[in-house]
Amino acid sequence: MLNKIIKSNEFVIFLILVGLSLIVGIINPAFFSLSTVFDILRSSIVFFIMAFGLLPIVIAGGIDISFVAIAAVTSYSTHMLLLNRGYQGGILLYYVIACGMGLLAGLLNGVLVTRFKLPVFDVSLATFTMWYGFTLFFVGATANFDLPPGTVGYYGKFLFTLQDPLVGETGLHESILYVIAIGLFIWWFLKYTTLGRGVFAIGGNREVAVRSGFNINLIMLITFAIMGILSAIAGVTQAFLSRYFNPVIFISQPLDVLAAIILGGAAITGGRGTVIGTALGVLLIQLINRTLILTGIPVEWQRLVVGTILILFTSLPAIRDLRARRVGHTTELVQAE
Amino acid sequence: MNMEPKTKSPGSIKRFTNPLKGIQIGNQTTLLLAVFIVLFIFFAVTEDKFLTGRSITSMAFQLPELGVLSLAMMVTILTGGINLSVNATSNMAAVLAGLFLVKFIPPEATPQQIGLFIVLGVLIALVAGWLSGVINGFLIAYVGVPPILATLATFTFYTGISTGLTGGATVTGFPEQLSVIGNKAFLGIPIPFLIFVLLTIFTYFLLNRTSFGFKARMLGSNPIASNFSGIDNKAILMRIYIISGILSAITGILTMSRTMSAAYEYGTTTYVLLTILVSVLAGILPGFGNVIDIFIAMLILQILSTGFHMALLGIRGSSFFKDFSWGVLLIIIFIINYFTRVRKAHE
Repeated sequence: MLNKIIKSNEFVIFLILVGLSLIVGIINPAFFSLSTVFDILRSSIVFFIMAFGLLPIVIAGGIDISFVAIAAVTSYSTHMLLLNRGYQGGILLYYVIACGMGLLAGLLNGVLVTRFKLPVFDVSLATFTMWYGFTLFFVGATANFDLPPGTVGYYGKFLFTLQDPLVGETGLHESILYVIAIGLFIWWFLKYTTLGRGVFAIGGNREVAVRSGFNINLIMLITFAIMGILSAIAGVTQAFLSRYFNPVIFISQPLDVLAAIILGGAAITGGRGTVIGTALGVLLIQLINRTLILTGIPVEWQRLVVGTILILFTSLPAIRDLRARRVGHTTELVQAE
Repeated sequence: MNMEPKTKSPGSIKRFTNPLKGIQIGNQTTLLLAVFIVLFIFFAVTEDKFLTGRSITSMAFQLPELGVLSLAMMVTILTGGINLSVNATSNMAAVLAGLFLVKFIPPEATPQQIGLFIVLGVLIALVAGWLSGVINGFLIAYVGVPPILATLATFTFYTGISTGLTGGATVTGFPEQLSVIGNKAFLGIPIPFLIFVLLTIFTYFLLNRTSFGFKARMLGSNPIASNFSGIDNKAILMRIYIISGILSAITGILTMSRTMSAAYEYGTTTYVLLTILVSVLAGILPGFGNVIDIFIAMLILQILSTGFHMALLGIRGSSFFKDFSWGVLLIIIFIINYFTRVRKAHE
């Protein structure tokens, strides 16, 4: 059991995370504080949610980029709709309406993919462009800061707070609970439901999945529905955490989320991927992006460092595979002799 | 993007077995041409200003940058890969060339000397593009990193170089002569458009008329089969990513010359996704696809952009309608293609 954990991909990423934290912490001891942890978690929350939504699709062998556009169109449209009605209440209605829209938007992708037998990536490229264009032209093109009174307090709703000598009062935002609930749900869905096992079957070998009697279309539709709903939740959550609604929210980030999932050990060709790995991948990217400032590297060179780290991290598994193949090859020869 | 080789329907194989016989007009070309003509007539009838020389010229100035960048994307998709770093490469090439021009031209230089410096600057940009291609090609072909991941990492890396060198600022103050490339016309044809046409023809010949192009397509349609046929997959991939890098650098030069500035942030991710959209619209698949379709797809996107901009003038956010129309058009083309495939299968 222990051996299995140590050899797992997740454990390697976990070690990288710890190692990177130690390096940053040694350079700047200010890193080792609860407020840093809370800060990284707060900035990761929406990426956790989006990555969990995308994970089943990646496991099924698809690459989707439209989830960010779905987050934008659902959150911004919901806000404009409620604003025009003079809505005064809390955030629950926001989530309900946005999730409804997200469900429909996700299903649109799903129907196009299943009914017309199209590649997931091609469809998502079309809907990505379409939804951002739709939001900007039909709904609105400017950021909106008018939050209903019932939702204003949400920004500072912490599970618990603490006093930090540097930044003052800080805390762990309650939306981390959604992340845990969603993560558990996706884990359960992938591991313990027939549909979830079907997701792996499709990604592993589509033809075999069809012959084994999996209802491919139904499974794909459900994964797209999940993606749509979770994207909507991420869009609304991000808006309330940053206290404004942005029509082009996340427009430059679909590939970052995808990279987090792949770094977390999911195979880009499908068939492999875990919730824990995805969560660690998101944390790794956030850690790299948000803690370099603590190491004293000049701001303008940080992106280069991030790029270098990314090149190293993406090369490592490939190099490991190369070596494994070579080693495997020689043992085969030895055995043959 | 499917990284795995695709199994193709018999129809498309037929189109491919005759690569050296005349310019192939595939189904996608016919469809795109039809869409182009319909849209062109529609906007020519409904908008008085659409068919004026001024609007045609302005379209011919706007389209080449995305067009050349789409060629850079297309060659990689043809081999079953992708190059997400095209835009970062073009910005990096422009920044390096721009910094060279700003820092090294002596104030007392004669026009001839300045011309020489500009040629050197262009060379620097091209070398930067070549180098980015070498790095991408090495990671993808020799280390074995999946193209989407390798180029996502180098996308950040190249952007990082531009950000670091410029400190995040926009580089300006180039000699006036540089603007000729991006803003002047030759025999009434805008120079950027001329460059785009020439590069389209060049890429067409490279991919359809040379043994290198043939091997690249074979590699795209089935890398294992091409490897066992004695094709050096790694060398081919390396050259494809170098070509992609150089084409990206040319885009950088065009943008730099038109705007007379260079910065790390021009285009960003959305521009990369647009070049993929052009390839998808043009029906480019690993091993299959035609450069001519990229050209027509670019014309269609530009017509939609200019046409709707004219039609919706004065309405708030009118310039965003084009994105919506591009997405919808792509979905319509997908569905038409689906029904064509189904009909063919019945026959």
